[in-house]
Amino acid sequence: MIIQDWMKQNVVSIPYTATIREAAILFHKNHVGVLPVVDDQKHLKGIIRLQDLLSLELPDFYKLLPDFDFVHDFGAVETHQPSAQEIEMPVIKLMQPALFLEQTCGLLRAYAVMLKHDLYDLPIVNEAKELVGIVSRVDIGTAIISTWNTITESNS
Amino acid sequence: MITGIIVSIIFLASLWLIFSEKLNRTITSMVGAFLIVGIGLLMGFYSEEEAIASIDFNTLGLLFGMMLLVALLEPTGFFQFLAVWAGRLSKGQPVRLLILLGTITTLVSMFLDNVTTVVLIAPVTILICEILGVNPIPYLISEALLSNTGGVATLVGDPPNVLIGSEAGLSFNDFLTHSLPIVIFVWLVSLWLLRYIFRQELKAVPPNVDALYELNPAESLEDRKTAQKVLIVLAGAIILFFLHSVLHISPSFVALSAAAVALVWTRPDIKETLKRVEWSILIFFAALFVMVGGLEASGVLESIVSALSTFKSIPPALFGVALIWITAILSGVVDNVPITIAMIPVIKGLGAAGMNIDPLWWALAFGAGFGGNGTIIGSTANIVVVTVSERTRTPITSTIWNKTGLPVMVTTCTVASLLYTLAYYFFY
Repeated sequence: MIIQDWMKQNVVSIPYTATIREAAILFHKNHVGVLPVVDDQKHLKGIIRLQDLLSLELPDFYKLLPDFDFVHDFGAVETHQPSAQEIEMPVIKLMQPALFLEQTCGLLRAYAVMLKHDLYDLPIVNEAKELVGIVSRVDIGTAIISTWNTITESNS
Repeated sequence: MITGIIVSIIFLASLWLIFSEKLNRTITSMVGAFLIVGIGLLMGFYSEEEAIASIDFNTLGLLFGMMLLVALLEPTGFFQFLAVWAGRLSKGQPVRLLILLGTITTLVSMFLDNVTTVVLIAPVTILICEILGVNPIPYLISEALLSNTGGVATLVGDPPNVLIGSEAGLSFNDFLTHSLPIVIFVWLVSLWLLRYIFRQELKAVPPNVDALYELNPAESLEDRKTAQKVLIVLAGAIILFFLHSVLHISPSFVALSAAAVALVWTRPDIKETLKRVEWSILIFFAALFVMVGGLEASGVLESIVSALSTFKSIPPALFGVALIWITAILSGVVDNVPITIAMIPVIKGLGAAGMNIDPLWWALAFGAGFGGNGTIIGSTANIVVVTVSERTRTPITSTIWNKTGLPVMVTTCTVASLLYTLAYYFFY
């Protein structure tokens, strides 16, 4: 069982010359959580996550608080919008270094990598390091479960 | 003579490593102490017993006891509670919020560690500012500056004071009668200055005051029972600090007893509590004491004394003011603890040379305390607020600090110098 049989081949990516605004439009239109950032040759440069864009609206100061049960209204944070300047920033400003796997990687190994690095989506590349697909934890998890004998039997 | 030169070279090299941050200060001081004791043993001027005896256990005990009390109070959410309560009480008015948060930070840091106070109050400050929709910079910078200022007021407020108190034999009440009045004055001047510096930011009317009332202080206090117990013990300790010279007990005995009572009353997970104690500071202090002990044993201090006796002709008030500024400028560039430790033998040397050094200890405390305000790296509290501000939309830059912290440092040192001179002519 290798990952290329289960990955989404129709991967939505974004060129590294794009802006945050273009990324926001792609996230919204495709309803995805991660966009691989690629160059002209489809080489993976990094990833941009939905949460990186949202950090423009909610700075991560809240992580410093042990909890925020006592905060019942986020007040001005709720209505804050990123500035025009932030929206027109190049996407590489918020881009994260990408962890990726080759398409021949085994499913359980891929799943372990995701757990270890607390990832929910992983870009997949071919031998030439070109982006060829993306998998989510759910894609891998359900693929593994589908191989369990009992599941296959009850399905049939 | 040769021993003195070798020990001085090790001591100065260690100070240089600490100041230039080439090597962690705790590691440097341990290596320095080991080298000095080793050479002392080889050349026969410093024994292991003398090295142990040179550690000031009064300083260490006082710091350790207070660190334990803070370690017990920290997870209860008490600091968070204070900041939330101040936020609600301010009714969203920026100047009121600045004064309330500043006052709370000062009062807490007069008795507890500045860094812990700022670490716990700054995130709630950012939260309040974000909810209100105002820039957190004025509040964060004020908290750091006012906590540094407040720490100067008491014997237990700041590590340099603990050191000075122990080396000069000053009691808790000595600090209340000598340092506190000057700190109150300096504090008011700082607050006025901060209000002036941030007048533009504080003018803006917060758009979202209603959301502030949705903050529930009671819910922010996570462990009310433990907080109450620790605060009762802390109050008892403060009362005993007032009386320690009458009762002939040391401040370190008071702090350690209070920690023991608080531990037995709250019975926490002791491993977790001990993890919150800043061992690196305690080890750093102990090792520095061993190094200074080696300096004394090798006869270096005597040479300093003879070198310093030429300064006897300088008017002592002027000497004190010069000491405030020298210590302050040095404390702006490097941590004030090694500065204080390096200055202590110099002041003792002046005393041995016949100068009245009682007023100089205060000059050292003011310089070390107020000087840290001048730059971001001047005090750990400053570094903390700058670091947390990086998680907001408006990080504090060195340019911002130079426009705010530096004027406050210069003004407070000027005011302290004037008051020091006045007090000198009245009381000495």
